[in-house]
Amino acid sequence: MFLSKIWFILVALFAGVSLSIALTAPRPMVQKLQELEGQRLDRAEYATEQMLKVDAHKWIDRVARLGRDAVLAEALDSASRGSGELGVQHRTVQVRIQALLPDLAGAGIATIVAVDANGRVVARVGGDDDKNFGENIGGAELIDDALRGFLSDDVWGAGGRLLRVAGAPVLSKSRDRIVGALYVGAETGAQFAERLKKNLDVDIALLLKGKVIASTIPAEVLSGLPDMVEQHRQDIDNLKRTPALPIDVGNETYLAVAAPFPGQASLQKAYYVLIGKKPAHADMGSLLASTSAHDLKWGTFPWIPLLVTILGIIAVGLFLQRFEVDGPMQRIRAELRALVRLDGAKLNDHKYGGGFGGIARDVNAALEHVSIAMSGAHPLGNHAMADAPAAGSAFSEGESHFAQAVRPAAGPPLIPGLGAPPPPAFAPPSDDGGPAPSSPAQPAFGAAPTSSEQDEDAHIREVYEQFVATKKECGEPTAGLTLDKFSQRLHDNRAALMAKHDCRTVRFTVYVKEGKASLRATPIK
Amino acid sequence: MTSLRTFVPLLLLALPLPALAGTVKGTVRVPDTVRSGRMNQGYWRLENGNVPVRPSSRKAGTVVVLQGISGTHPPPPRTVTVEIAGLTATPRFVVVGPGSVVEFKNTGKITHELSVPADETLMPVERLNPGTFRHQKFGVPGGYLVRCSEYPSLAISVIVVDSPYYAVVDDKGAFSIPGVPDGKATLKVWAGGRWAHEESIDTNGKDLSIRIESAKSANQPEAKEAEGTGKEGDSEGKEPDPKGSAE
Repeated sequence: MFLSKIWFILVALFAGVSLSIALTAPRPMVQKLQELEGQRLDRAEYATEQMLKVDAHKWIDRVARLGRDAVLAEALDSASRGSGELGVQHRTVQVRIQALLPDLAGAGIATIVAVDANGRVVARVGGDDDKNFGENIGGAELIDDALRGFLSDDVWGAGGRLLRVAGAPVLSKSRDRIVGALYVGAETGAQFAERLKKNLDVDIALLLKGKVIASTIPAEVLSGLPDMVEQHRQDIDNLKRTPALPIDVGNETYLAVAAPFPGQASLQKAYYVLIGKKPAHADMGSLLASTSAHDLKWGTFPWIPLLVTILGIIAVGLFLQRFEVDGPMQRIRAELRALVRLDGAKLNDHKYGGGFGGIARDVNAALEHVSIAMSGAHPLGNHAMADAPAAGSAFSEGESHFAQAVRPAAGPPLIPGLGAPPPPAFAPPSDDGGPAPSSPAQPAFGAAPTSSEQDEDAHIREVYEQFVATKKECGEPTAGLTLDKFSQRLHDNRAALMAKHDCRTVRFTVYVKEGKASLRATPIK
Repeated sequence: MTSLRTFVPLLLLALPLPALAGTVKGTVRVPDTVRSGRMNQGYWRLENGNVPVRPSSRKAGTVVVLQGISGTHPPPPRTVTVEIAGLTATPRFVVVGPGSVVEFKNTGKITHELSVPADETLMPVERLNPGTFRHQKFGVPGGYLVRCSEYPSLAISVIVVDSPYYAVVDDKGAFSIPGVPDGKATLKVWAGGRWAHEESIDTNGKDLSIRIESAKSANQPEAKEAEGTGKEGDSEGKEPDPKGSAE
C-alpha cells in the first residue's frame, strides 16, 4: 500500500496547492485591476480637464464672434451712453441674438447675456429670466474682466445649476473702445455628464454646494459622495484632485476621482467626479458570485482537460488500490480458503509485500505454533508464556544473539490429527540451496517422532550435556537441571523463536559469558 | 486746598510721558492675482487685441493694521452701511472697532445669501432679498470675509481692529500710519480676503517694504485667523492657481 499512500499524499498536496492558488491568485490580479482602474480614472480626469479647457476656449471664441456683430455693438453703445430707451435696446439686442443663434439648446447654450459698458444687463436670451434687464452685474469678475478688455471664462453655480461661462468685450464699430460685454453660459448638467460619459467611458457626477446636481448613475445612490469628496478637500486644494477613492453605491463598490471646477464655482464646492467600477473582491464568494453562465460554457471553461485530469487521478488511485490492496486481499483470501479445504499447508507469503506479507507470515507462524502446540505435551496456549525463559536466565540471554529473522522452511504438519495434508504449494529452499525436499507424509497426532525430531532431540541432548559440563566448569550448581526440563524449554524456545523469526529451525550452542554458562540460539533458514 | 493745587501738576509730571510718536509707512506688494481684480479664474484670460486693457476698478482692499502697541484704545463701535447693488458691494471692505454693526443693504434686483463662510456660527447663511437689509454685529477683533453663497464674487471684508493704527493701502501699494508711538508692534496685512502677512516691527519711523508672495483664494479659512493669532500663511513660493492665465 506504499504507492497508494504516496498517491494519496500527492493528490492531497496537489489539491492543497490548487486551492491555495485559486484563493490567492485573484488577489494580486484584483489589486492590479484596481490600480489600472484608478489609472484609467486619472487619465479620464486629465482628459476631462483638457476637454473643459478646450470647451472654454471654444465658448470664448463663440462669444467673441458674437460680440463683433455691428447691431449688437451699436445697441450696447447706445445703452452705455444712456441714449435711447433701455427697453428698445433690450428688444433690439434680444432679437438680434435670437436671429444669430436661433437654436440655443441645440448649440448647448443655456443663456446669453449682453451688458453695457456700465455692467448693466441690456438683454438676456435663454433661461427663465429673459424678460429681466436693467440690473447691474458688473461686479461679477468675468463681466468686470470683459469690460476691462479681457476674454475669459469662468464657472458659476447659482440657483442649483452649474454654468460654464465665457465672456468677451463688445467693441464699438470703430473698434477703439469697449461699449459692453457678452457672456454665454453653457449647460453643465445632465447632458454634459452624458457627453463626458460617452467620450470617456466612465460615469460622472456633478456636485454643487454639497449636492449631486447631475450624474449618469442614479443620484439617490450617490448620497454619500459629497461628504466623501469634502473629506478630501486637502487633496483637492493641493493636487487639484483626489486619489481614486472607493465608494459603495448600492451593492456595488466603485472608485471615484473628484476634481474641482475652476473659477468662482470652486468657492461653491463644485466638483466633477469620475466614477469607475471597482473590480470584484478576491474572496471565493465574490469570485463565484461574479461568475456568469458564459464562464462555464464548453468553449470558455476547460472542461475536457479538467475531466481528463480528474479521471486520470481517479484511475491511478483505483489502479494502485487494486494493485496493492484488492489483488493481494483476493489472493490471500483464496489461499486461506484453500487452507480451510486442506489444499495447502501454509500461506505462500513470498507473494505478498508490505502489510499483506506481514499478515501472511503471521498466519503461517500462528499455524505453525498451533501445530507445535498440538503435537507437543503442553496444552495449546499454555506453553508460550509458562515456559518462556525467565528474565536474566541463560535461555533468555541467548535470544539476543539472533542476528536477523530468516524465512522458516516448510515446517512439519500444521494441523495434526486431521490427516496428512498434501505437500505445500511452495517449497522453501533447502540449506544447501538445492530444491526443497517434498514433505513426507505427515504422521497422525501422537504418532512416533520423525527422524528430524530425533535429530532435534539429539541436538538438545548434546547441548544439555555441554551446558551441564560448562556450568560445572564455571562452578555453577547443576542440581535440578534435568534433561527433561532443559529439553522442554529448548523446544519451547525453539518454537517461539521459529515463529518469531520465521526460520526453519534453531541450533543452540553453549558458551561462557562473564563466568557463566550461556546458550546462544542461531536461526537456521 | 492749596496743597491740592500744587499736587496735581506734580502728579501729572510724575505720570509716564507717552513715547515719541512717528509715522509708519511703507509699500505692500500684493500678488498679481489680488491686483488684477480676478481672484477666481477659469482656464483662459486673453486680451482682446484691439483696445488696451483697463485697470481694474475693483479695489484690492488691502489694509495694514498695527497691533500690540501698549496704551492704545480700539476705535469706538459704529454702524457702517454696505450697499449691495446687483453684484457690486460698496464699500467692498470696512475697518471698524469691536462691537461695530455692519448693515448690509440690498438695493439691487438680485437676491443674495450672505454669510461668513469661515465662521457660520457668527454669521450664518441668510437670504437678503432686494430692498431689504441685514444687520450684523462684529464684536471680536479680526478679519471677516462676508460672501454671497450664490454669487461668490460678491465678497465684503470686515476688519475689526483693536488699535487705531491702521491704513488702507492705495493703488500703488503705499500706506502711511501717522502718530504711532515708538516701540514694538505687530504689523498685519489683510489682502485678498485674508490675513496675508504678519511681522513684528519697530515703529521708529522707518520705511517698510512688505512683499506678499501669493494670495490664496479668499475662501480659505485664514480669514478666521482673526483674533490676533493671524500669522504669515503658507503663502510662500506657491502660486495659488496654476491654471493658465494669459494676462
